Amino acid sequence: MTYAVAHRRWRIRPRLRTREFLLLVAAGGALAVGWVSLNSTLEGDAISYGDPTLLVAYLGLLLVLHLAFVLTGRRTDEILLPVTGLLAGLSLLLMARLPQDTATQSFGRFELGLAPLQLFWITLAFVLLGILAITVRSDGWLRYYKYTWAAIGVGLLLLVFVFGEETNGQRLSLRVGPIAGQPSELLKIILVVFLAGYLADNRALLARTSSRLGPIPLPPVPYLLPMVAMWGLALAVILVQKDLGGALLFFLVFLAILYIATLRLSYVLLGTVLFFAGSAFLYTLFAHVRGRVDIWLDPFADPQGQGFQIVRALFAFGRGGVLGTGLGAGLPEVGGNPAIPALHTDFVFTALAEELGLLGGLAILFLYLVIAERGLRIAIGAADDFRALLAAGLTLVIVVQAAIIIGGNVRLVPLTGITLPFVSYGGSSLVANGIIIGLLLALSDRGVEPPPPPRQTRRERLGAGLRRVAGRVEEAVS
Amino acid sequence: MISENQGGAPSIGRAVLRVALALALVYVGLGLGLTYWQVVEAQRLATDPGNPLVVEATRTEPRGRILDARGVVLADNVRGPDGSVLRRYPQPVTAPVTGYRSLFFGTSGLERTYDSELVGLSQGNPADEVLRKFRSDPYDPTDITLSIELRLQRRAADLLEGMRGAVVAIEPATGRVVALVSNPTFDPNRLIDPDRGQAYLQALQGLPEDRSPLLNRATQGRFTPGSVFKIVTAIAGLGSGTIEPETIFPDQPEEAERGFRVQGFTIRDAHRLAVDRPPLDLFSGTEISSNIYYAHVGLETGSAAFADWAARLGFGQPIPFDLPTAPSQVTGGRGNEPGGFRDLVELANAAYGQAETYVTPLQMSLVAAAVANDGVLMRPKLVTAMRSRRGVERRVDPEAWTRVLSPEDAGAIQRAMQLAVEGELGARFAGGAKVPGVPTAGKSGTAELGGRGEPHSWFIGFAPVDAPRIAVAVIAEQAGRGAEVAVPIGGELMEYWLGLDR
Repeated sequence: MTYAVAHRRWRIRPRLRTREFLLLVAAGGALAVGWVSLNSTLEGDAISYGDPTLLVAYLGLLLVLHLAFVLTGRRTDEILLPVTGLLAGLSLLLMARLPQDTATQSFGRFELGLAPLQLFWITLAFVLLGILAITVRSDGWLRYYKYTWAAIGVGLLLLVFVFGEETNGQRLSLRVGPIAGQPSELLKIILVVFLAGYLADNRALLARTSSRLGPIPLPPVPYLLPMVAMWGLALAVILVQKDLGGALLFFLVFLAILYIATLRLSYVLLGTVLFFAGSAFLYTLFAHVRGRVDIWLDPFADPQGQGFQIVRALFAFGRGGVLGTGLGAGLPEVGGNPAIPALHTDFVFTALAEELGLLGGLAILFLYLVIAERGLRIAIGAADDFRALLAAGLTLVIVVQAAIIIGGNVRLVPLTGITLPFVSYGGSSLVANGIIIGLLLALSDRGVEPPPPPRQTRRERLGAGLRRVAGRVEEAVS
Repeated sequence: MISENQGGAPSIGRAVLRVALALALVYVGLGLGLTYWQVVEAQRLATDPGNPLVVEATRTEPRGRILDARGVVLADNVRGPDGSVLRRYPQPVTAPVTGYRSLFFGTSGLERTYDSELVGLSQGNPADEVLRKFRSDPYDPTDITLSIELRLQRRAADLLEGMRGAVVAIEPATGRVVALVSNPTFDPNRLIDPDRGQAYLQALQGLPEDRSPLLNRATQGRFTPGSVFKIVTAIAGLGSGTIEPETIFPDQPEEAERGFRVQGFTIRDAHRLAVDRPPLDLFSGTEISSNIYYAHVGLETGSAAFADWAARLGFGQPIPFDLPTAPSQVTGGRGNEPGGFRDLVELANAAYGQAETYVTPLQMSLVAAAVANDGVLMRPKLVTAMRSRRGVERRVDPEAWTRVLSPEDAGAIQRAMQLAVEGELGARFAGGAKVPGVPTAGKSGTAELGGRGEPHSWFIGFAPVDAPRIAVAVIAEQAGRGAEVAVPIGGELMEYWLGLDR
C-alpha cells in the first residue's frame, strides 16, 4: 500500500484534551466515591477504603490512556473514553463485591479471582483501544480486504464448531493455551467491516429497484447474494451454537446497516417478516428456544425451576426501588448460593439497578445512548461512505447488544446469554468492544488523512503494470 | 459531511438520523420497562413470599406478634436451638384465625395474609419505604392487633366443643369480627414443631375432608342454610320493591293445609302453625318460619332480582376478608332461568334455603349484621391496628361496603326477626336465643340434607335490637334442629358478650 505510506506524516504535536480530562476526573471521582461506599457497606458502618489497589490501578490505566492521547495529539473524540471508562469502572465495582471464585484463571503460578481477572481483561481491552485510536490512520486494510475478513470470520466460526468447548449448552469458546475466548465476539466486528465494505461499493445499485418479490421492490438480486450469503452463514452457524442473543444482534445490526446504506424501509420490513417467520420456526423446532420464550412470557409459572433466574432478577429490581439499596447492600448470595445464576455475565444490569436503583439504571441506559450519539455523529461526519457505514455499524453493535440484554433483564424480550458491553464479566467481549471503541476513535479523527482513492480495477492495474513493464523495456532498450 | 451522493445513492446522514431516533425510542422503552419493575411493581416484588430475602428473613428474624383486642398475645416467637425463629401460640383456640407459620409447611391464616407485615418488609407508608434503604437493618416487624376478643372466642369454642361447626360473631356497626371459631380445630404449636410436626400434619391430612381440622369452616365451609336463608329472601323481596312487609298471598292459608304446588312440586311447611289462620305477612311468616310464604316471596321477586340482591350481600364471589373465603351461592348457576336457576321449583326451594343454596357462616353473619346495622353492610375485618417495632402505627378503620337496604326495610326485618325470637309462636323455634332483659332478634334454621342423617342446626341473630352490638352466625353440622343446638349457643354468646365489661 504505497499510497498509505506516502501519506503517513508522523508529526506528533501534543494537544490538550480538556473535555476528556474533566470528564475522566468526574468519572474517576464517581468511581472512587462508589468504591468507598461499597467497602463501607461491606465492612459495616464506618468509612472504609478496603484495599484500593484495583481501583487505583484502573484509574491509573485511564490516566495513562488519556496522557497517551494528549501526547500523540490526534483530534479524536473526547467523550467516548470517559463514558466507556465509567462503564468498565462500574463493572469493576460489581466484580469486586461478587464471590471472587465465580471465575478464576491461572497464568502459570498466578491465579486471579473475578475482580483482578476482570481488571486484566479491561486493561487488555483498553490498551488495544488506545493502540487502535492512536495508530490507525488508514482504513485501507479494512476496506480492500472485505472478502478476506469474511473468510477469516467464517474460519473462526468453523474452528469453534470443530474445536470449541461447550459452556451452558452453548458451543462458544475456543481455548488457546490457558485462555478460552469466544470468537463470535470478534465475528461481529468482522461482519460490520464486511457489510460496510460491500455496501459502500454497491449501495447505489442496491438502492435501485430492478426486480420485485410480489409487492416488495428488490434490487438486482445478484448484488444481494454475497451479503445474504455472509449473513446467512453467520446466522446458521450461530444457531448451531445456540447463541440466540448473538443471532439477534447480528440480524438487527445487519438490517440497520442495510437500511442506512439504502434508506429503503422495505428491506427492514422484509427482514422483520423473515425474522418473525424464523422465530416461529425456531420456536416449534427447538425445545430450548421454546423454553426461553415460555419463561419470558410467564416466569412465575415455575419460579423455582425454569423461571428461577428471571424471577430472582425481578425480585432484585423490586428490592432496588428508586434509590437502590446502595453499593454492596444488594443480595448477591442467598444461603451461600448466588441469588441470580450467571449474575456476573447475564444480569450485571440487574445487579447494578438493584444497588443503584432506578436512577442508576437510567444513568447506565443514558451512558449507552451517549455512546450511540457519539458513534452516529462520527458516522454522519465521516469522509466517505465506507467510514460512515463502518462507524455506524460498530456503534450499533455495542448499543444494540446492550439493548438486547437489558431488554432481557427487564423482561421486555426473551432473555439471551449475551454480555452487557464493558460491564459484563468476560475477556472476549471486553476486548472486542475495546477494539470497536478504538476504531471509532480513530474514525473520529478527520484531520489526518483523506480516504484512500478508489482502488484500480484489475484491468487498470494490468494496464499500469504493462505500461510499467513497457517503460522498463523502453528504458533498457534505449 | 458526506460530500456528494455517490452515483445517486441516498444520503447516509438522513438514514443515520432515523436509526438514531429508533435507538432512542428503544432506550426510552427500556427505561419505561425498568421503571415498571422498580416503581410500579417494586413493593409487590419486595414482599413476595418467594423473594429470597423474605424467605431468609422469615427463617431468622423475629416476627411481629399477633394480639387480641385487649392485647392478649395470640402469637409470638421463641428462638430454636439452631438460631431459627419458632412461632409460639399461647392461645391455640384462635388457630382458625391466626393460622400457623411453620419453617417447613409455610404459612396459613393471618400468618399468611400479613406475612410481609409480620416479617417487617412492608409498612404501607411510601415515605418510610424510601427511608428504610438508609437503615442497616431493613426489617421492622409489625405487631398486629385483632378485633378478636379472646374471652368470647373461648366461650364460643367451649359451646361448640365436641361438635363440627362454626361460629362467627361480628360488630354490626364496624364489621369487626370478635369471634371466629371452626371445629374441629388443630393445635398450631404441635403443627410447627420441627420434630413432630410432620407426623401431626399427616394425621390431620389423613382425615376425610368433611371433618378436616385444616378446613376453616367459618370462612370456607359451605353449608345448606335452611330457614336462616329466609332473611336473604326477605332482603331481596323488600329491597327490590316486590313486596311490602304487609304483603299477603291470599292462597297461602289454603296451601298451608294442602301444600303449595309449583310446577308439579309440592312445598309444605314443616308444621301446621299456619293452618286456620289469616294470611301470613312478613312478620308472622318469619315468626313461624313459613316455607310457603317465603316460596311465594321468592317467586314474586323472580330469579334475576333474587340472585342480584343476594350478590349485593356478597354472594357469588369470595368475600374480601383477611382470611381466604369461599363464595356462597343461591344456585348452582347451570340453569337457563335468569340468575342461573333451572326452573321455578329450584327458585321456590332456594327461597327458604334448600335446593342448591350453599353458604359460609361468615356470609350469614354478614346477612345478620347488615340487617342489624339498618341496611348498611360493613366490610368484615379482623385487624384493627398495626404497630411496627420502630413505632410506625397504622389504624384500620371501619369501612362501609354497600348499603343493601333502606333503614325502613331493614327495620321491618329487624322486627320480624325479633318476633322470631320473642313472639309467642316464634319462641318455639328461636326463643332459646333470648338474652334476658335485652330485645333480641334472630332466625333459626334446620337445613335438611336430603334424608342423609341429621340436619344442620343454624342460627343467625343480633342484640340488642334497638342498638345492636353483636351479630352472630352459628352452625352445628348435622346436630339436629336449629332450636335444639345452634339457637341456645347463639343466645349464650350474645348474652356473654353484652355482659362483658370492655
